[in-house]
Amino acid sequence: MANERLRALEDVEKEIATVMQCAGNIVLELSKDKHNASLLDRQLVQFQASVNRVENELSGQIRYLTQVATGQPHEGSTYSARKDCQMALNRAEYAKVKLGELGRTCEVMLEQQQQQQQQQQQQT
Amino acid sequence: MATQRGLPQSKESLLQNYNKRLKDDIRSILDNFTEIIKTAKIEDETQVSRATQAEQDHYEMHVRAANIVRAGESLMKLVSDLKQFLILNDFPSVNDAISLQNQQLRSLQDECDKKLTSLRDEIAIDLYELEEEYYSSSYSQWDSTDLPLCEAYRRRDSWASPGSSCSSTQGDREDAEGPPSQEANPQQHLNGHGTSSIEKP
Repeated sequence: MANERLRALEDVEKEIATVMQCAGNIVLELSKDKHNASLLDRQLVQFQASVNRVENELSGQIRYLTQVATGQPHEGSTYSARKDCQMALNRAEYAKVKLGELGRTCEVMLEQQQQQQQQQQQQT
Repeated sequence: MATQRGLPQSKESLLQNYNKRLKDDIRSILDNFTEIIKTAKIEDETQVSRATQAEQDHYEMHVRAANIVRAGESLMKLVSDLKQFLILNDFPSVNDAISLQNQQLRSLQDECDKKLTSLRDEIAIDLYELEEEYYSSSYSQWDSTDLPLCEAYRRRDSWASPGSSCSSTQGDREDAEGPPSQEANPQQHLNGHGTSSIEKP
């Protein structure tokens, strides 16, 4: 829900840029000797639509904030869940380290055993 | 509505300021654009010479274009302020974001613990078999203070059902060397990394 409102505001920023672009195109077209009437009409319609959209969207956001804002700071946090999750990941990491040590110990024992067998074979 | 009266003065005045800025900037853009279009109209009769009039119109258009750009930048600043206000004061969305994050973190924690528990169970099964093999072989150096896992499980079963006989190959090894010490240690042996420090008597 928050992301949608923020995305709507980002779209409003793009609309403002469109307003400026359309205004510039119209003035550029008027500066020419021969005007393209259809282009002028299209740009003008887009300019007016963008201005109306910007005004309506921003008015709606301000109205929503007027209804929702309390003036108090928000005191929620995700600290406890984050800490519990971090502890769970630490447990998993610890288990991984211990299993790694166990694996290395087994490999060392196997190597020693193989060396002993080779020595015995050489003696015989 | 009562919520509007409940707002502190600073927040209410801030939102009114946002409204005012919006209206002023939109009006500025529209008015200046309209005046530029009007100025672009060529008039035959002028009070001053054509060159002077052209120069004046040129300057006026520059200023009005700059006003339009300034109003556009002011609108961008207003959008940025609204985004900031929304992030800090839109409590429903902040609550939703917090609860979603908590849910994700808890599910990750549960999944992690579930996998660790299943790993523990698998290792316990293998350890049981390995110990049984080891302690029944001739290579074992069985310490009376160290209770094997398989023996601990057998004893636990026998405690649960006192009538049952606990007969095992290691049962013969239960000498009177230290039964209390053996009984004190199953906790320590069952929990691999020693959650409780039980001292030997």
